[in-house]
Amino acid sequence: MTIVKPVIYGNISRYFGKKRDEDGHTHQWTVYVKPYKNEDLSTYVKKINFKLHESYPNPNRVLVKPPYEVTETGWGEFEVVIKIYFNDPNERPVTIYHLLKLFQSETDIMLGKKSLVAEYYDEIVFQDPTAMMQQLLNSTRPVAIGAYKHETDFEEKKEKTLEKILSAKTKIRYEIQELNERLKQKKESIQTLKDHLEKLEDADVTDVENVT
Amino acid sequence: IVKMAAGMDVRDILELEGPEQQFITKDALMNDRKKKVAKKTDVSFKRPEGMHRELWGLLWTDNKDAPPIIPTDTNQGYKQMKAKIGSSKVRPWKWMPFTNPARKDGAVFYHWRRVADEGKDYPFARFNKAVDIPVYSDLEYQQHLHDDNWTRQETDFLFDQCKRFDLRFIIVHDRWDRDKFPNRSVEDIKERYYSICNTLTKVRAPQGSEPKIRAFDAEHERKRKLQLTKLFDRTPEQVEEEEHLIAELKKIELRKKEREKKTQDLQKLITAADSNFDARRSEKKQTKKKIHTPHQKINPTVSTPEPSGIKFADFKTSGVSLRSQRMKLPASIGQKKLKAIEQVLEELGIEYSPIPTEDTVTHFNELRQDIVLLYELKIALATCDYELESLKHRFETLAPGKPLPVETCIKSEPESSVLSAETTGSMVNPSLSPDSPSKQKMLAEAIDVLNANPPGTPNRKRKAALELPNMLKKIKQKM
Repeated sequence: MTIVKPVIYGNISRYFGKKRDEDGHTHQWTVYVKPYKNEDLSTYVKKINFKLHESYPNPNRVLVKPPYEVTETGWGEFEVVIKIYFNDPNERPVTIYHLLKLFQSETDIMLGKKSLVAEYYDEIVFQDPTAMMQQLLNSTRPVAIGAYKHETDFEEKKEKTLEKILSAKTKIRYEIQELNERLKQKKESIQTLKDHLEKLEDADVTDVENVT
Repeated sequence: IVKMAAGMDVRDILELEGPEQQFITKDALMNDRKKKVAKKTDVSFKRPEGMHRELWGLLWTDNKDAPPIIPTDTNQGYKQMKAKIGSSKVRPWKWMPFTNPARKDGAVFYHWRRVADEGKDYPFARFNKAVDIPVYSDLEYQQHLHDDNWTRQETDFLFDQCKRFDLRFIIVHDRWDRDKFPNRSVEDIKERYYSICNTLTKVRAPQGSEPKIRAFDAEHERKRKLQLTKLFDRTPEQVEEEEHLIAELKKIELRKKEREKKTQDLQKLITAADSNFDARRSEKKQTKKKIHTPHQKINPTVSTPEPSGIKFADFKTSGVSLRSQRMKLPASIGQKKLKAIEQVLEELGIEYSPIPTEDTVTHFNELRQDIVLLYELKIALATCDYELESLKHRFETLAPGKPLPVETCIKSEPESSVLSAETTGSMVNPSLSPDSPSKQKMLAEAIDVLNANPPGTPNRKRKAALELPNMLKKIKQKM
């Protein structure tokens, strides 16, 4: 039995508009993990550990209840290691690696007028969870009041991606068929040629022997 | 103390001021030291007699600690020991005459020898070894050893020479009397000698016993020496040419093996592609439940690494995991395959790592497997083309002017092939144009056919090569 929990993870960031004098920071950013559907993750999630770059004081930021996010300022992009621990001690934690994104060539973002969003969709797949865990996974409650939306339209993305992949598959399969056919033909040609050559060579050898 | 004295001398020489005060203070110090030291020297260990000063210095320090070594009996060790020669009396020697039994003239010589050894045999006589040369009687000669090419005198002369020179045939050949007898080669001499020996052994052996015969193949020996001389007389150009040809042959053999291997893989590939396609074709016709069985059929073939594409990590065990993990390519995929996948995905406009839902992941993995399969088919096709080209050339040399029995349109490509760009560029080696390697192969094969050895010689060579060491062993045993 499998239970799937889709999640969204990533960061939003915004340029100050200038470089801050005291520490050289240029951006404010928030890295986060959110459930795809409106639910309270803490029902089955014990804690989420965001490991930041070691130049940050206390680089391990632990969150035990929503919102699971870390807001900081900085000047550079780095990899954030997001480790999700579950309430069931039998389940091992899952690790997500996210490259913090601050820079983009779109003018508004560069100027700091607009925030940059870099978020991704993934699914946590629970294969044969314990009865207790099943209970927790199935009894979640909404966390946000009112409309719950993400910055990115993932449903559209899912549809489009699947479409593309399926059409690509058909195309490739067609080509495989074609090549296979040609390959078979060539193999036959090779065999025919080889047979002919063998006959010719035998004739040749007997000629040589007769001469000597 | 020594250093301080040197210091004083230097100051004296340089006539520096202020030494007097130093003098006094140094003197006082020195005296103090002496007094203090005088009491304590009794306690120190004495350097063993005969031990070098530096060595003692290593072992002993002025700290008056126990020496670091375990005390051993060093009294005897460091003396210059006298050599211990036996305590017995000196044995007397005497100037005495002797004869050498190895000599035929009974000459008497004199030498120094121990009195105790007087009367014993001359010890070096035992080294006088001689070769056993058979001696035949007249009767034996008349009955068995007659030969049309050899007179009795010549045969006797031969045996005499062999006896004199201890069967050193080269010398016998050199000292051959060419005035009296015809010019004989070393092989002729050996042949006559060995045939006589063998006949005599056979004749003289008692009834029923198996005499040992020395096999000597004169004809073979002549050929062998001739070949060696020819080999030795080769010019450097000839040697180089031969080496070059051998290297070429090796290269051709290697390529041949590679191509054979590729055709084998090709076969596997075709069966895989076939089963792949058939299974998926039936998939569309059957219901969802039945889809699992053709998939499982595919799995065993997919598990063989090379021809059937990529195998993705299995996620059937219970536990929690991320969907995106199931999209990861295994580490064992080679660079070329990775590149092929990358390029095709780019062309198709698909992200390298798309959004991971269950369906997407499954189909994406299958897509990549298909891409790899396509890539492998392309390579196989190129190999086929190469082989066809070379076969074509061979055919043209063996049967010039005759039409080819097959259609060989080699360079036609399907119009909408995704892989056309990168594969043809990277796989067909620019230096290997279809003409040159197949022509070289062709020539080498032609040469092979002409130089083929008649079936007899290699075997004879091997047999004689084995027998020569045996002959040598027998000669040594006799000595």
